[in-house]
Amino acid sequence: MATGFFTDTTLCIGCKACEVACKQWNELPSDGFKFTGDSYDNTSELSGTTWRHVAFIEQMSVDDGGLHDRWLMSSDVCKHCTNAGCMEACPTGAIIRNEFESVFIQPDVCNGCGYCVTSCPFGVVDLIEKFDPGGVRYNLASLVEARREEDKTALQGHGGVAGKCTLCYDRQKIGFEPACAKACPTQSIQFGDVDVLRDRARKRVETLTARGVSAELYGADDVGGGVGPLNAFFLLTDRPETYNLPAQPVLPSTRQPAGYSSAAIAALGLAIAGWMIFHNE
Amino acid sequence: MSDLLEPPGREESVPTPTYYDRPLLKMPHWDNWNVVTYLFLGGVMGGLGVIGVLADPKRESDRKLKRTLAVTSLVLAAANPAVLVTHLGRPERFLHMLRIAKFKSPMSMGVWGLVLYSGAASMSVARELALADVLPRWVRFLAPTLFGKLQALFGAFLMGYTGVLLSATANPLWSSGKRHIPVAFVCSSMSSACALSSLLSTLEGNSEVTHRLERLEMLTSTAELAALISFERQAGVYGNALFTGAKGDRLRTYTTRTGILAPLALNLLGAIVPLPKPVDAVRTVIASVLTLLGGYILRDTVVTAGRVSVNDPRVASVQPK
Repeated sequence: MATGFFTDTTLCIGCKACEVACKQWNELPSDGFKFTGDSYDNTSELSGTTWRHVAFIEQMSVDDGGLHDRWLMSSDVCKHCTNAGCMEACPTGAIIRNEFESVFIQPDVCNGCGYCVTSCPFGVVDLIEKFDPGGVRYNLASLVEARREEDKTALQGHGGVAGKCTLCYDRQKIGFEPACAKACPTQSIQFGDVDVLRDRARKRVETLTARGVSAELYGADDVGGGVGPLNAFFLLTDRPETYNLPAQPVLPSTRQPAGYSSAAIAALGLAIAGWMIFHNE
Repeated sequence: MSDLLEPPGREESVPTPTYYDRPLLKMPHWDNWNVVTYLFLGGVMGGLGVIGVLADPKRESDRKLKRTLAVTSLVLAAANPAVLVTHLGRPERFLHMLRIAKFKSPMSMGVWGLVLYSGAASMSVARELALADVLPRWVRFLAPTLFGKLQALFGAFLMGYTGVLLSATANPLWSSGKRHIPVAFVCSSMSSACALSSLLSTLEGNSEVTHRLERLEMLTSTAELAALISFERQAGVYGNALFTGAKGDRLRTYTTRTGILAPLALNLLGAIVPLPKPVDAVRTVIASVLTLLGGYILRDTVVTAGRVSVNDPRVASVQPK
């Protein structure tokens, strides 16, 4: 069964309980204190050690009807794409699709090459630099009990590995819902069977539309570009770019046929020219 | 407010809302010398393999060239994994890539291309050593010329796959050059390989072969220049990171002028005007070094400009097909 998230941004109150719960459960280190001035968002982005990120968008306009303002909040997360760019790019096979059909990085296999980082069309995954200086940073590598000790040593001293949301693989294993969904006080983050979630999301859009709210789903259906539907999808009330989501994501590997064929033609052309130069005198 | 909505480039795109102008995509982690050197050396060694099969075995000068190429490409093939290890941090992390072969991942394919190339290059060296009576003569039956042909095949792959590796990402700049970057890298690899071959041949005193190498280099550099110009024309806003600002100046100064046009002029001079031998040797050395430098700067600029290109969330929103 494919599990995923339906993040209904109309219900988000910006409490960041998801961010905190994620950090706590997954034993992710602090990103340090900083003040961005971007509304209430001092997290700024998803990263190797930040797997939930609440975006705050303050909108204000004045026209003849008076002052209009709204405050959009949205908890961003790894999309767990049907066709995942990171997973296709990974040269070690560290990135796998697990039994819950989520995209999971095995930290003991990852070699920190950074190819997944550039291959994610949503800018989600990033390297955790100087991963784990003093011990086991997070417990996902020890999902398989027998490998627990071995993984502890394997992780130490690495220059870095890629990190992103695991859809709380370890919690799902024992029948718990992911930490962020569990902590969300408004059910803005809903976890479950993606098919069920999609139906629920469509009904929610109908309800909102009937109330005069313009709402659209992002990723419940195919987002295009070969990426397919997203296992973690969103209900948005503005253009995707407003939330820092790409309007038209493209699966990077779809460009390979054009790339390889162009390179092959160029190489063949040069080889023929070279053959003539070397043999025709 | 309106100036915030305009992209910082030559062409205007549809005003797009952004999230506090924060990057939509992640920065590549490949701004270091390690990765650039890995991409550059991989291309050069690939080109050496191809030149090895082009050389005419009926000529003494070409046989000598083949010997030089075999040894040089094996040295590069041995050095390149070491360069990659300096990027990954620990040697066993390179081995993680050998646990699977994945057709969808150009990086996985590239590593296997490198491994297979190294194998073929080792056999070519064994053959050369057998022909030179360093190894027993029967060794050449174990290492037939087939390995030279395989080396050329894997080499052709190595020349271009790094371009595919970059363009098959979500990076706005790289992905906009899905045809141009691979072609430019193939050409640059070949011209750098020609330059390295003529440099080594000149230093060995095998100057007879350099003029043919330089002819191929001139042709290849011209194709490279055409690929870069065509890339600039079609890339639009996606190409701003590479073709404007400091990166653009760097590319034009070091790759276009110093790395392509200057060696082209020097090689043309050598082809037209009969120069005295010592002068001609100096000319070849200068032209070769400039071409190699240009090839390295091309990789470096394209790779580091990828970091610049993610700074603009507007071009990352609608991704090139």
